[in-house]
Parts: sequence; structure tokens; C-alpha cells
Amino acid sequence: MTPPGGMGRGGMGAGVGGRGGGRGMGPGMGRGGAQWDGSRASRESRGRNLRGLLALLKPYRLRVAGMLTALVLGTAASLAPPLLAKAAIDEGIERHDFKTLVLVVIAFLVAALLVWLMTYIQTYLVGWVGQRTLADLRVRLFTHLQSQPIGFYESRPAGVLISRITNDVEALESLVTDSVVTLFQSGLTLVGAVAVLLYLDVKLALLTFCILPLIGAGSLWFRLTSTGAFRRTRETIGSITAYLQETLSGIRVVRSFGQEPRHLARFAELNEDNCEANMVTVRLNAAYFPAVEMLSGVAIAGIVLYGGYQAISGNITAGTVVAFVATLSYLIEPIQQLSQLYTTYQSGMAALEKIFQLLDVEPELTDKPDAPALERIRGELSFEDVTFAYKPRRARKNLDKSVSAPLEAGLPALLEAEEVLALEHIDLRIPPGQTVALVGATGAGKSTMAKLVARFYDPTEGRVLVDGHDLREVSSTSLRSRMGIVPQEAFLFSGTIAENIAFGRPGAEQEQVRQAAAAVGAEEFIAELPNGYDTEVGERGAQLSAGQRQLIAFARALIADPRILILDEATSNVDLHTEARIEQGLRRLLAGRTSIVIAHRLSTIRGAGRIVVLEHGKIAEQGTHEELIAAEGRYYDLYRDWAIHAAA
Amino acid sequence: MATFNRLLGFLRPYKRGVVVSWILAGFAMAMSVLLPLLTGEAVETISSGAHHAHRHELAQRSHDRHTLLMYALAIIAVVLARWGFTYWRRMIAGRVSLGVEYDLRERLYSQLQRLELGFFDHQQTGQLMSRATVDLPAVRFFLGYGLVFILQFVLTIVLAGIVMIVINPWLGLISLAPAPFVVLISYRYGRRARPAIQEVQQRIAELTADAEENISGVRIVKSFAREPRQLERFRRSVGRTFEQAMVATRLEATYNPAIGFLPQLGIAAVLLLGGNAVIHAHLTLGQFTTFYLLLNMLVGPLRSLGVTLNLAQRATASGARIFQVLDREPTIADPPGAPPLPAGSGHVQLRNVTLRYSDPHDELNVGTFAQVHRRGDGPDAATQNGHTAPAAARRIVLHDLDLDVPAGRTIALVGATGSGKTSLVALISRLYDPVEGEVLLDGANVRNVGLQSLRSAVAVVSDDPFLFSASVAENIAYARPDATSEEIENAARRAQAHDFVLRLPDGYDTQIGERGLSLSGGQRQRLAIARALLANPRVLILDDATSSVDASTEQSIKLALAEAMAGRTTFVIAHRLSTIALADEIVVLDHGRIVAHGDHEQLLEESELYREIVERGLPEQVFLTRETREREVSGI
Repeated sequence: MTPPGGMGRGGMGAGVGGRGGGRGMGPGMGRGGAQWDGSRASRESRGRNLRGLLALLKPYRLRVAGMLTALVLGTAASLAPPLLAKAAIDEGIERHDFKTLVLVVIAFLVAALLVWLMTYIQTYLVGWVGQRTLADLRVRLFTHLQSQPIGFYESRPAGVLISRITNDVEALESLVTDSVVTLFQSGLTLVGAVAVLLYLDVKLALLTFCILPLIGAGSLWFRLTSTGAFRRTRETIGSITAYLQETLSGIRVVRSFGQEPRHLARFAELNEDNCEANMVTVRLNAAYFPAVEMLSGVAIAGIVLYGGYQAISGNITAGTVVAFVATLSYLIEPIQQLSQLYTTYQSGMAALEKIFQLLDVEPELTDKPDAPALERIRGELSFEDVTFAYKPRRARKNLDKSVSAPLEAGLPALLEAEEVLALEHIDLRIPPGQTVALVGATGAGKSTMAKLVARFYDPTEGRVLVDGHDLREVSSTSLRSRMGIVPQEAFLFSGTIAENIAFGRPGAEQEQVRQAAAAVGAEEFIAELPNGYDTEVGERGAQLSAGQRQLIAFARALIADPRILILDEATSNVDLHTEARIEQGLRRLLAGRTSIVIAHRLSTIRGAGRIVVLEHGKIAEQGTHEELIAAEGRYYDLYRDWAIHAAA
Repeated sequence: MATFNRLLGFLRPYKRGVVVSWILAGFAMAMSVLLPLLTGEAVETISSGAHHAHRHELAQRSHDRHTLLMYALAIIAVVLARWGFTYWRRMIAGRVSLGVEYDLRERLYSQLQRLELGFFDHQQTGQLMSRATVDLPAVRFFLGYGLVFILQFVLTIVLAGIVMIVINPWLGLISLAPAPFVVLISYRYGRRARPAIQEVQQRIAELTADAEENISGVRIVKSFAREPRQLERFRRSVGRTFEQAMVATRLEATYNPAIGFLPQLGIAAVLLLGGNAVIHAHLTLGQFTTFYLLLNMLVGPLRSLGVTLNLAQRATASGARIFQVLDREPTIADPPGAPPLPAGSGHVQLRNVTLRYSDPHDELNVGTFAQVHRRGDGPDAATQNGHTAPAAARRIVLHDLDLDVPAGRTIALVGATGSGKTSLVALISRLYDPVEGEVLLDGANVRNVGLQSLRSAVAVVSDDPFLFSASVAENIAYARPDATSEEIENAARRAQAHDFVLRLPDGYDTQIGERGLSLSGGQRQRLAIARALLANPRVLILDDATSSVDASTEQSIKLALAEAMAGRTTFVIAHRLSTIALADEIVVLDHGRIVAHGDHEQLLEESELYREIVERGLPEQVFLTRETREREVSGI
């Protein structure tokens, strides 16, 4: 790592230039996470993205105007000191005019106070507008994501979506706060300084400007080269951290096999890599910063010599020479800062592109504008000649091309480029209150059927009806509030156990929460937790076993008191005690509701009113356990296989 | 202060580099101070030259020009010298800094490799990681750069101060008067801004967690139609982030412009008082210019000195936390001059063994850290508030246990979670030391033999095997890096892993682990078995998987296990009957004691606990769709 920006260098005249004394010292890592998106934004879309960004600023245009005014005034005032120094020398000192000198010093103090005030206003407003915009953008992204159907999520890795709201928005932060300020401030300072020098003396100014192309080219070279070098150091330090993390998670294996020496050797290699990568940046810094300092010193020599000759010849004054020397840093610093803009701009634009790409995705599954709400329902479910195919991802419009296919795919069909029929001509009527167990191999279409009932997808052909209403004709919010879903892996939100149970029913009271927990048999273990119902769960809270989480998910579904229940049974084994509880809880949950259970446990299957065996998207057979065993069909085969295994 | 001195000790190997870079920094700063002096003198010449010219003293004119040329050349010489000094200072200081960083990291890592397993049981990985990712950079940044910066800034200020005071004491003191305040205020700013900025980071992390949760839990949110509630929560998180960012912004807006303003007072004083002195000929115009330029030059160092001083304080706090780990002596280490494990075929004896895990009170938790990372490490709070009663925590996991396993036998360990099965087997490879009694392998007390030789005689296959981010082949060859590819393949074949490995995208060269392909539980388990087979241990410890795998995988694993057990002492932590059936003897554990020992029939008769386990363990296990979560990953 290198010293942050302005630390080593000589100071600038006034205070405006000193942003980020404290910021630069912060952690400042973690930006620019996954660079999976290699595509460059076209010029056209770039323009559109910038317009989109400006649109975000629109509600705050007064503040933006205030910020720009403060910036201009502050920068102008910060350019005054060299001119005032010249006035002090030429008009005051050389002429022995103390009154003028006093006036100049008063002007100097006024300028300094103005810089103070303007910097204050500008810092505050830039922070406010920038942060507000980012907050708005985050909420907008979040709302947009929420409006998307489940299909949207199933075709994209969660990590990519998360990084839109987090990493990409943060990458934008430096664009909207630091870069905008740098652009205006450094740009204005540079232009102002050039104007001041030209006004003071054209020839001497032109001579001074000679070093600028050198510094400009050098700065650009430095930024471009060091970006790569810094990336390399970040990567190497990332490897070290990852390796350390891995060693710690695998410490038991390391100790068990007594393999410490090889880990030490590998770590030394990684450490060495990091050291070398860092050395590159040290060399770059050593080549750049001292050289810029040297060039500015050469410029001073030039000013003293040529300006001095001119002064002796009476063409310019001594004050002009001093003003030139004092203004020099106003020329050099902005160039250094501006050269840095390029990289921030690039990463900011890339982030902007990704964000707007996401915002452009129209939800594919929406309610009809006048869709009526489902009121009370009896819970009759029917599939009428339903055929469904997952759309191949690549064929859809408006998607990130580069998202890699998720490895953990629960839906193998999604990975294929062609349309695969997940369900074919399914006809099924479930009377209110019946429990139907769906049985079949992976990919047979069990989950797809469940998803169609919740209207996570619309059928490709045919209709899914609740109490005779086509799901596409009713409001999906009202549909889902009559429905409870328990997924295979019980997902809990961070928050207390009570909050998680109450999730199923807005405004549920404590007593109701307790009753729901008691009904599914979760009360006992909750009581044993340190804070009972107020125990925090989730990543930041107590570690619950899979079985316990399952019970909470049951309670969450129960408290919603849905007419229709969809349950994907967990497959993981839990200890005997919990197993018994889950069985009990399940019975309570299913009682009296229309239920579709993707069943894995024999007890659930036996207890179901009807078993539907699916095979390759079609219903192979259906009936009760006894009927199907008697029929000696597919179900009988599955049962026999299992029995043999269980006995082994 | 003691910590601080110890930290400086890390510089000792680089003493020469440090001294040289300090000297170079000194020279460079001297050059920097010379520059305004020369410029001032040149301006003096210019001013008097202009007066001469005014009075048509033509002879003077060429003399003045000559003097000016000399000054210009001197300036060039000075900046060239400074260039050289600074360049070498940066190169040398950079090397020192990187060397210190390397050493620090190396020492921390080797220390972690020395410490016994018990140490890690009570440490949150995050606590240890933060030593490497938060504390280490703080220390090395201070030692590598901070010290040089401080020196450089102080030197600049002192040298410039001396020059000014020598030229004109009163003017020097007056114009330097704001300097201490600048340092003080920017020091304060650095101290206040850091926690504020950290809190921003923390809230962004919370926001990320929020977003993450909503995306992973989207099915639940949609199922219960709770989008509005989630949006409300997210809005709150966003609001909290905004507010904290504004706290940081307000600090910046308050301090930064003020810090910029103060030095201007000094400059104003020079303009007024210095100008007046020039008018009254107490000061030359050249000296006036020197003052003006020097003060301009000091603005940066004054501001940065304050901020940099914070580094020292932070590095000391971080250093204390690093030394906590470095100073911790491992409780399990090779006894001095320990002989290797004597030859044998795997006779395991446990004699009156009592095992107690050490106090789980997190020894690495110190105030400074808890203050910095208030959230995200919940258990800390409990420990710090003293809620954990040490006596209760020092739980006994094995009570006065005796077990004699002749070489080549297969023992099934059966019992509820927490009954001590895993602890018992961990004693054999001396991952823990019992507090009483002794553990013998082939007649040798495991405490008295070299750890390396002991551990290469015992191999473990856990129920959720850990694989490293490396190729499949490297993972199998973990215990024996020198294994040939035939040996690796052979081991994989015997572990029933060969076929699926060949179906992976790059076969044995496929990268797996966190950054590679993720394998199913069944696949990982077979690779772990291959890894153990290749180690060819005397004693094999198997933790039977509890996760469900599909029928054919289960069959392969069973075959692999049978292969692995053949001809060596094996301990199986068994969860299902089919695995228990592989054993010669069964040991039933309950609360750290052996409550029954014998074969299946015997135990069915004698042990009620065993009967219960057998009877209830079977019937309701996963029935049909075992394959849902454990599909073989064959590469995409």
C-alpha cells in the first residue's frame, strides 16, 4: 500500500483542496467486487446511463445548484491568495504604503473566510445529495427486485443481485461524491490558475506551462499503470486472506494429518507474491511522486530566472514573480487529481451500466390491472390440462449475458438451452381440505406443480384454478395471503423467533405467536433458548438445528392460517426426538387445509389423502398408499427399494 | 508503551534500512526548506535589481543577472538532489515496510499453525481473521510508513520553524502560532472520523445482509405476500446508512475547512507584520518571500501530522491484539527430543481417561476489539458481561474411561449427540490431551512421541469432510504430497471415487473447494476416504455421514468404507444400522461414559439405550426422493 493521496506532498495554498484527510485512511477496501461483466457500455448507453443518474439528482436540484455555487465561489476565493500576495508586495511593501497593505491583508482574510464557509457548505451538500441519491437508488433497486417474479431469481445467482444493491451502488458513490467534486474543483482551479498566470504575464505564463504536458502525460501514465499494480496487490492480499480463512476452517484436517509444514510453505509463497506485487507499487510511486516534485522545482528555477530578468528589465514586478511561484501548486495538483478521475469514472460507469440494466428488466409476471382480490376461499385446487416449460434463459430479452449458470441448480431444466417440458397435460382436482402427496424422482415436476399453485410461474398451456378462479385473473397478493408455503430448507430472517413466526401474519399478537408455536410443538425448545421467543436467530443470532428451524417455519405457516398449504418436506435427517416433533407438527399443520406436499417421509405419504406419483412431467398414477401398493406399479417399486435399503 | 516498544522491535532486522531512510528523509526535507530560502534570496535580488535598473545602474544589472542565474542553478541543484533523496527514501522505506509486513504475517501464520486444536474451538474464526485483516495492516502501515511520515513532517516543521525564527524570531513565533492548533485539531478529527466512518461501513454491511436475506428468502417473502414489510425494513436500513454517512460528512464539513483556515492566519500575519517590517527595513523582501513560501509549504505537513499521529495510537492497540496471539504458548507440542511412534499395527488403549475442554471464555476478546466491532460477534457480549460461569463451562466430556482395542478391530461408537464419541477419537491422534489418564498407541503414550509421526499413523474421515481449494488429486494426496498419480488413482478407485472424478470437467485436475467446483456431500466423503486410504494409517477414524444421500451413492460409500477398514484398527462413529453392522464390537456412550460394550446381539439384550437407538433410528428416515439435494455434480 502507498500513502494516501495528498500526504507526502507540499501543501496547497488554501483549504479547498484538502478533501479526504480522514477518508483516505479508512478501510477503503471491498470495492469493485466481482468483475464478471466484461462488456463495455456503448457510447449510446453510456449517455443514457448518465441521463439516468442526472434524473436521480432531479428532486434535489436546489441543493445541487447550491453545491455548485459554493464550489465555484470557494475555488475562486482559494485562487485569491497569490494575487493578494502580489498586491501586498507591489502596491504595499514596495511603495511603503501601509494602508494598502492593511487593505490587502483584510481582503486576504475575507478570502480565507469565504473559502472556509464555501468548503463547509460544499462538503455538506455534496455529502447530502450524494448519499441521498444512493439511498434512493438502493430503495429503487430493492423495490424493483421485489416486483420481479420468482422465475427472475431462479435464473440469476443471488450474489449478482446482491452486488447490484451493494457493491455497484458503492462504486457509484465515489463517482457521485468524490469524482464530481474533483472534476469541478480541479477543473475550475486549473482553468482559474491558468487565467491568473496569463493575466499576470503572458510570456512567463507560457514558459511555466511548458512543464504541464510532461506532468499531465506522466500522471496519466502513472494512473494507468498503477491501477493494474494496485489490482494485483489487492488480488494477492485477497489470496492470502482466503488461504488463511481456509486454513482456519480446515484446521482440524490440518492437525489430524499433521500437514502444518506444507501449509507454512504455501503461505510463504503467497506472502512472497504479495510482497512482490507491493514492491511494484512502491517502485511506481517512487518513480512518479518525486519526479513531479522535481519538475515543479525546475519550473520555479525557470520562473526565477526568466521572470527575474524581466523584472530587472522593468517589464514585470517582483510581486509577479512571487505570485507565479505561489500559484504553481494550483496548476500541478489539479492535473494529478484529474488524472485519477479516469479510473473512478470507468468503474463508476460500469456500475451504473449494470444497475440500469437491472432496472430495465420488466417484471414478466404481473397482475392484470383490474385483477380482483380473492376473498374467502374454500380451497379447491384444479389443474386443467396444464403444460409448463421453463423458458431457456438465453432466449429471454434484457438479461445480463454473462451471468454464469448457477451450479447449485435446483432446476436442471433451466440450464439447458432448449425448452424442456416440465409438466405435460396435467389434470388434477383437489377438493377442499385434502392433502395430496407428490412423489417422484428429481425433475419429475413436483416443485413445478407447487410453484404454479403459488403463481410463481404461469402455465405455458392450460389453467390453474382456485375455487374456479384462474390464477391469472386474480391479484397475486391476495392469492398468496390465503396460502402458506413451507420450503424444504426453512429460511429464517434475522430477527427474533417471535418476529419470524409473526412473519406469517401481519400484526399477530404475542399470544397468537405462542399458540402457533405450541401447536406445532416448537414451544419446548424455544423455552430453553436464552431469551425464549425474543432470541435472535439467523446469521447474527442463535444457531438452530435444521429440525428446529423447520418447526419455526411450520409455526410461521400455521399462524397465517392459510386455506391452501404447499409444503416441501425437508430431507435431512434430524435426531429422533425432533423427528417425532416434526411429524406431530406436520399433522397439526395439514389438518383441515388443502395441501400439496412434496413428500419424502413415509409417514407423510401414508397419511396423505391421495398420493400422486409423477414421472417425467406426467401423472403416472394416483391413489392412497394401500391402493398403490396393491396396484404394484411405480409406487410399489419405489416402496420396495426403500424397504430393502432400510433393512440393510 | 511496552506494546509500542515491542512493535518497534519488528524494525530491528531492518535497522540499516530504517536509519538510511531516515537520513535520506532528513536530507530531502532540508532540501525542501532550502527551496523557499533560495527563492526568497532570488526575489531579493530581483527586487533590488529592479531598483538598480530604475536608477540606471547598468553595471549592477549584469551582476544581478549573473546572481539570478546562480540562484536558478542552485534551485535546480537542490530539486535534483531532493529528487534523488526522495526516490531512494521511498524505495528503501518501501522495502522495509514490505519486509515488516512479510515478517508479521509469517509470524502470525506460523503461530496459528503451532497452536493446539483446542485453541481454535473457542475462537471465532472472525476474531482470528480480523487479526490478519484489520490489525496487521494497521501495524505495518504505521511501522512502514507512519513513522517515516511523522519524522518527515516533524522535520519539515522544525527545520522551517528554525529558519523562520533565525530570520526573525518574533515574526517566526507569531506566524507559527496556529501550527500547534492545526496539528491538534486534525488529530482530533482523525480520532473522531475513524469510528464514524467505521460505523458507516458497519451499517453498509448490515444493509448488505438485509438485501442478501431478502434475495435468498424471496420465496418466503412472496409466499406470504410480505413485500411491504420487507421494503419497510430495507428502507430503515438505508435510512440508517444515510444518517451515519451524514454524521461522517458533518464531521468532515466541520473540521476540514477549519483545519484549512487556521494556517491562513499565520500567512496573514506574515503579510501584515512582515510587510510592515519590510517597509521599515527590519526585514528584506527576500526574507518576507521566504516566510510566505515556507508557511504555504507547511500547510500540508501540519494537517497530515495530526492525522498520522492517530496511526501510532491505532497501531499500538492493534499490536496488543496481535501479541495476544503471538504470546500464546501451544499446550500441545512435541516433547523435546521425542522419539517417533514405535512400529506397530494399531493397538489403541485408553486408560482412566478423563477429558475436559478448557474454559471457552474467549481469551482473545479484549475491549478495544469489541468496541470497534460491536456487532456481528454476539457471543462476546455474553462473555464480557460475565454471564458464562467458568465452572459450568469447563465441562467434562469423558469420565474415567477405559477402552482396549486390539489391532485390526473395528469399533462402532454409538450414542446421542454430545455423548463424547468425537472427543474420544480425537484423543488418539492427540488433538486434545486428557486431564487424567493416558492414551496409548501400540504401547507408546501419545504424549511422549513426535506429533508428526503420531498423526501420520491416524487418519480421520469426518461426516462433513473438509476439502481444500486445490485439485482433486492434491486433495487426495493431502497426507502424502509425494504420491504418484497411480497411487492417487488407486486410492480413488478403492474409495469408489474414481468414476465420478473422471466425469468432472478436468478429471483429477478439477479445482474444488470454496473457489472451485462444489461437490455433493457423498462425493466429498468418498474423496475424504481416498485421502485417508492414501495416508495408509494404522488407525482409521470414520464419522458416518448423517446427511442423506441417494441409494446408489450410499451403496458406494458403504463399499468404500469396507475397503478402508480392511486390515486396520477402525473407529466408526455410527448413525445407522448398516454402518454398525460393519463393526466387530459396539461401544455405547452416554454422557461421556461407556454404558455398554459388546456385539449387536449382546447389546440388544443388555442395553436399553442401544435398543432404543436401533428401533427408533430406522423407520422414518427419508423415503423416496433421496437424490434431491445430493445430485452428483458432473460438471457444467
